Amino acid sequence: MTIIKIKDLTKDYGDHKGIFDLTFNIEEGEVFGYLGPNGAGKTTTIRHLMGFLTPDKGEAHILGLDCTKSSADIMKHLGYLPGEIAFFDGMSGMEFLNFMAEMRGLTDTTLRDKLIKLFELDTKGKIRKMSKGMKQKLGIVCAFMHDPKVLILDEPTSGLDPLMQKNFADMILEEKKKGKTILMSSHSFEEIERTCDRVGIIRQGELVAIENMHDLKQKRRKIYLVTFDTPASASHFADSSGFDILEVENNIVKLSVLGNVSEFIKTLHNYTVLDLNTEISSLEDIFMHYYGNKPQSASNM
Amino acid sequence: MLSKSLLKATIKQNFMVFIIIVAVLMVYLPIIITMYDPSAQDSLNKILETMPQGLIAAMGFKEIGGSLIDFIGSYFYGFLILLLPMIYSIIACNRCIASHVDKGSMAYLLSTPNNRGKIARTQALFIIISMTIMIGIGTIVGIVLSNVSFPGELDVKTFLLLNLGALLLYFAVTGIGFFASCLFNDTKSSLMVGAGLPVIFLVIQMISDVGEKTRFLKNFTMFTLFDSDKIISGESYIPQFIALIVIAMVMYGLGINIFKKRDLPL
Repeated sequence: MTIIKIKDLTKDYGDHKGIFDLTFNIEEGEVFGYLGPNGAGKTTTIRHLMGFLTPDKGEAHILGLDCTKSSADIMKHLGYLPGEIAFFDGMSGMEFLNFMAEMRGLTDTTLRDKLIKLFELDTKGKIRKMSKGMKQKLGIVCAFMHDPKVLILDEPTSGLDPLMQKNFADMILEEKKKGKTILMSSHSFEEIERTCDRVGIIRQGELVAIENMHDLKQKRRKIYLVTFDTPASASHFADSSGFDILEVENNIVKLSVLGNVSEFIKTLHNYTVLDLNTEISSLEDIFMHYYGNKPQSASNM
Repeated sequence: MLSKSLLKATIKQNFMVFIIIVAVLMVYLPIIITMYDPSAQDSLNKILETMPQGLIAAMGFKEIGGSLIDFIGSYFYGFLILLLPMIYSIIACNRCIASHVDKGSMAYLLSTPNNRGKIARTQALFIIISMTIMIGIGTIVGIVLSNVSFPGELDVKTFLLLNLGALLLYFAVTGIGFFASCLFNDTKSSLMVGAGLPVIFLVIQMISDVGEKTRFLKNFTMFTLFDSDKIISGESYIPQFIALIVIAMVMYGLGINIFKKRDLPL
C-alpha cells in the first residue's frame, strides 16, 4: 500500500529555487531517506506534505488524503519533527509535551515516558534554556509519543551526540519492524545509511535518483587510506594490486573500492598494515560516484 | 470548532500583560473618579484655561459640563481608554498568530489534528473575550467606585453606552491587529500594520482635536467612530457603533480566511 504519494509536485520560487516536478511514492513499512545538500528543496517538499504550502502544480497525498485540503485528518496519524526547532515561549519540556498531547487528544503517556527515558531527556528545565541537542530530543519525543503510522522527520539527528544518534537509529529500526512508514531527510549519507530502505536524492529542486539502499551500497565507491609499515611495501601494493589507486604518499596509499571489499581485505592480508581509515564521503562525492562528472552538480554542491 | 488546549495556553501566555494593563487602568480610573468635585469644576476649568490649549485638547481634556459622566467621559474615555488597552491589543494580536509563524512554533500547532481555521478562530476568540473582560472590569469598577464616592451621581445608562462604544472600538482595533497577524510571516510586518495603523489613528485623533484648522483630520481616523462627547450628549452614535462592528467582522473574517489559505514558511 502506498502511504506517501507525490506527483508532479512543483513550487517555483523563481531563480531556480523551489521544487520541480517531483514524483515518488513511499510504501507502507518503508524507511525512505531524502537526501540532498542544504537548499536543495528537502524542507520545501516536507512543507507540502505537512500542508504548510500549496503547490503551484501537482499534488501530494498521505494515506490517500490530500495534503493541502485534509492536513488536520492526516495529522491524526502523523508524527512530525521540524527541521528548525522552535517551541512555545517559556514552557518547560514537560509542559510542552503535555500541551502537545492535549492538542492531539492523547491521554496515554506510556510511550512518551519510555522515550524520555531512552533519550535521557530532562523535561523539567525551560525550553528556552535547553541546549540544541536537548531541544532536538524533545522534538523527537514529541514526534513519536502518539505512536503515529507515518513519520516525517526533517534532519532528525542534527545536534545529537553519537550515542543518541545510535539510540535514534535503533528506534527507527524498531519502528520499521512495527510497520511504520518513515520519511527522513538528511544532508549526509552516513546518517541514513543504517536505517533507510530506499534513498531519494534531490538536487536543485529536482529528484536526480531514487535508489534502493542495497544497490546504492553495491555501486558505492569508498575511499580508503591504508598506512603500511614502509614506503616500499606501500609502493609495492600500489603497483601490483590492481586496485584503483588515487594517491601514494610515503607509506600511505589512498585508493577507492567499488562495492564489495573482500578482495581488498584479502590483498591487505599479505602486508603489514599499521592503520586503515575510510574517508567520509561528502554528498558531492556521492553524486560524483553515482552519476559521473556532472560539472554543474560539482560546482554547485 | 475551537481548541480548548490552545485557548488555555494562550491565556497563560498573555496573562501577565493583561494583568499589568488592567492594573494601570485601575490606578487611573479611581484617581479620576475621586478627583471629581462638582463645586470645584469651575476652578478646574480655569486651571485648564491657563495651560496651552492645543496640548489640553490633544489629550482629550476639554472644558466640560458639570456632571460625573462628563468628567469621566472626558478624562478617562477621551484619551486613556484609547491608549492603555491598545498596548494590550497590539501585544496580544501579534502573539496570537504572527509570532507563532515567525518563531516556527506554528509548525507544532499545525502538526496536531487541528486545522488552521480552528487555530485562528481560537486565537480570535481569545482576543475578543479578553478585550471584553478588560473593558468589563473598567465598567464595573467605574460604576462601583462612582456609587461609593458619589452615590447616585453617575448616569449608569450613559456610562454603559460609553463602555460599549469603547469595546466596539477595540473589536475594530484588535480586528486590524489580528488581520495583520494572520497576513504576515514575521513579527516585524505584523506589528508595522497591526500596531502602526492604530497608533497613527490615535495621533491623527489627537491632532484633529487641537483646533478648528485640523478638525478635518477627524475623517481620517477610525477613532472618530468612538466619540465620547456624542455618546454622552445622546447625539448619533448607533451608525458609528454599527460601522465599528462591521470593521471588526470584516477584519476578523478576512484574517481567518487568509490564514487558512496562505503559504506558511514553517
